[in-house]
Amino acid sequence: MDKQLVLAVAGAGKTKLLIDKLDRERRALIITHTTNNFRNINSRIATTFGFLPHNIQVMTYFSFLYGFCFKPFLLKKTGVRGINFDRCGNIRAVGRARYIDSNQRAYANRLAKLIQESGAGAEVTARIGKYFDLVMVDEVQDFAGNDFNFLPVIASAETDALFVGDFFQHTYDTSRDGGVRKNLHKDYGRYIAECEGIGLTVDRETLRHSYRCGPELCNYITDSLGIAIGSHRQDTTGISFLERESEIREIYNDPAVIKLFYQNADGHHACHSRNWGASKGEDHYTDVCVVLNQTSYRLYRHANLRALRPSTRNKLYVAMTRCRGSLYFVEEKALRGIAPKAI
Amino acid sequence: MKLIEKIVLHNFKRFRNLDLALNDKLNILIGENETGKSSVLSAVNLALSGSRTQIEAIGVERLLNCDAVEEFLNSNKDYNSLPIMFVEIWLNEQNNHELSGKNNSRDVDYDGLRMECGPNNELGPEIREILQSNDRMFPFEYYEVKFNTFQGNAYSGYKKFLRHLSIDTTLIGHERATREYVRNVYEANLEGAERQQHQHLYRKAKEDFSRSALSTLNERVEGYAFSIKSDPKSNLDTDLTVLEGGVPIDHKGKGKQCFVKTDFALARATGPRQVDLLLLEEPETHLSHVNMRKLIGKIRGAHNQQLLIATHSNMISARLNLRNTILLHSATDQAISLNDLPKETGRFFIKAPDHGILDFVLSKKSILVEGDAEYILMERFYSEISGRTLEQDDIHILSVDGTSFKRYLDIAKLLNIKVAVIRDNDKNYSLHCEDRYRAYVGETIKVFADRDEERYTFEVCLYCDNRGICDEIFGEARRSLSVQEYMIKHKTDAALALLETERDVTCPAYIQEAIQWISS
Repeated sequence: MDKQLVLAVAGAGKTKLLIDKLDRERRALIITHTTNNFRNINSRIATTFGFLPHNIQVMTYFSFLYGFCFKPFLLKKTGVRGINFDRCGNIRAVGRARYIDSNQRAYANRLAKLIQESGAGAEVTARIGKYFDLVMVDEVQDFAGNDFNFLPVIASAETDALFVGDFFQHTYDTSRDGGVRKNLHKDYGRYIAECEGIGLTVDRETLRHSYRCGPELCNYITDSLGIAIGSHRQDTTGISFLERESEIREIYNDPAVIKLFYQNADGHHACHSRNWGASKGEDHYTDVCVVLNQTSYRLYRHANLRALRPSTRNKLYVAMTRCRGSLYFVEEKALRGIAPKAI
Repeated sequence: MKLIEKIVLHNFKRFRNLDLALNDKLNILIGENETGKSSVLSAVNLALSGSRTQIEAIGVERLLNCDAVEEFLNSNKDYNSLPIMFVEIWLNEQNNHELSGKNNSRDVDYDGLRMECGPNNELGPEIREILQSNDRMFPFEYYEVKFNTFQGNAYSGYKKFLRHLSIDTTLIGHERATREYVRNVYEANLEGAERQQHQHLYRKAKEDFSRSALSTLNERVEGYAFSIKSDPKSNLDTDLTVLEGGVPIDHKGKGKQCFVKTDFALARATGPRQVDLLLLEEPETHLSHVNMRKLIGKIRGAHNQQLLIATHSNMISARLNLRNTILLHSATDQAISLNDLPKETGRFFIKAPDHGILDFVLSKKSILVEGDAEYILMERFYSEISGRTLEQDDIHILSVDGTSFKRYLDIAKLLNIKVAVIRDNDKNYSLHCEDRYRAYVGETIKVFADRDEERYTFEVCLYCDNRGICDEIFGEARRSLSVQEYMIKHKTDAALALLETERDVTCPAYIQEAIQWISS
């Protein structure tokens, strides 16, 4: 039984790696975290096979956790009737109330723990082994809190397992639960050690070069953010900082260039825009304009972007690595006179 | 092959709890009227259909067990003890995770489907209000039905985990039943996207007709236009029929319809959409003897379907092997499978003459006699000795060949039927009347025969005990044969004559004993 964790860089072909493992015979399960990726993977499968083969199942993490793992063993026993994605308001809640709200909905962030605490972990593991020959988890870096603790339940099934992720694209958590696994993402080395502890063979080689990002961008990211990323490409692209108002206006109004904001994309819906974090998983941009907020602009100026808070640094990394062509930086403040007034 | 391994009913119609294991192929449900044969079929049909509208059409009131409702109304009407009803279909390994889980009455990880009817908890406050009132009103209207797989996910009729076809001969001729049947066999025969193709072409043909044939007419009716309907009430599904020999099946006689429908359903046994399960309700209705034999032949030849048949027919249950029979009793919720009958006994009844085996199976007390003469006189003896009739005491009499008594006793033993065997000692009491039945005789089975080996057969006993009457009735015309010899040679004639005489006929002592024992 092959149990692998492949750690990748952005644009290195994580999805391709997953898709390449699929055939018309082996019963495969692919678990994704975001619905974005769920759609993306489904459409890639459809492109590969011409349709969606019956032996391949794609599930989002919570539909897997609730539908495939929880329901068969615990639905009747617990009387749960759905998931509550809010946190349990009472941090001192004990017993059932820690896991299930008064409307009989299970708290999403403790659902994985509820399964394990109820002693159904082994049954879930057996169930995965019974129905699948291969389990793949995409965006595994987002597994946090109780969900990270649930990974062994998946990894120990009688199947091949392939987990892929990019440690530095950790911008969201599947869920959080107080101090549970609080320090998991603090240090790359420790993260790898934790994964090895689950029984995964960690592969940092296969996907360390990006197909999407050019060498200039990759070098820039490695230097400025301290995130090691190589490139398969040899061509030259460009990185520039926009200062002239006419230039800024032109790029701002160019629908072909996506404008990526720290968190203010909604205020700029007049232009083609998104937030840094929300652009994760997207793969169809050529030229990208990264809009720097106050903090990131200051650090950019001081050539010290690696001093950003890790979560912000990761989001910026995601934003920059959307780029296949030219990368533009612009200061958010400089857009004030250009963006139409918010209504 | 997709199979139902078990059906579990709770508070469904007359069943408080029924746990019914099914055979892989044939299952013949027998039972008196009102024992719930049709209910079992209807439970399976409803659960597999996954159709809320069907449940609504029947009404929760008619599905929920009356005793459960009554008990609840007599209790302190606690919300949490409102009765629920469920039907569970336990399947063999389906290799489909959507079906498997512990959401069933046994909390076992298994493949299956569950239909549950219970109070709609969203209407909890309203239900509580009704319960608190002093009226003896049960909140049927506040019940809802849910269809879930054992995994815990909802399913509807659209997703067919198991394809079934229900042929209810009591509904033959009903438009809805016919349409349902046609749709089902149509689906069973489709391949790939044929259905969509057909629907598309049918709509197109209608449009073409409207455009061409109706065009001149429509030019005359300015501002309006005639057209062919194309809506849920008139489409391919509603217009489709099945022809046999050029005649629509619903135009055929009821008997023929039943036969053709079953035959056609059985014939479609391959492909991904094959019918997995056939539900046959009283196939004997409307069928002639000859057609029934043909139908039985077809059923025996079916290899790819599981069948669940409810019947009153002796022939169907015996010819399809009694071992496939499941007996429902009105008194208990227990179903008894005749699967445990010895194999040879099953084979025997497939070939044996039709003696009304079902009547025996369904009886609580029976008398087995060895010949027609005993049979003819038994009713008279019984009422003379017990003072009651056989019908009053619910006692069944069967005349069978002496060598096959054991076959019947196998059944009696399995089903706990009280049986008096009345037989001749054939000049060796211990051999013929004791040794042979040692494995059967007990509290519920007894063998009665004359111990005097001189009195070796029924006619001899009769003659000895009724010499005067017999000499008088049979003596006159005799030339070469003695009266006793005549009686032995013409057993049934002699019995009939004795039955009809107004004189008192003495019943041989061992038969008296038998009657006293069985009627006690």
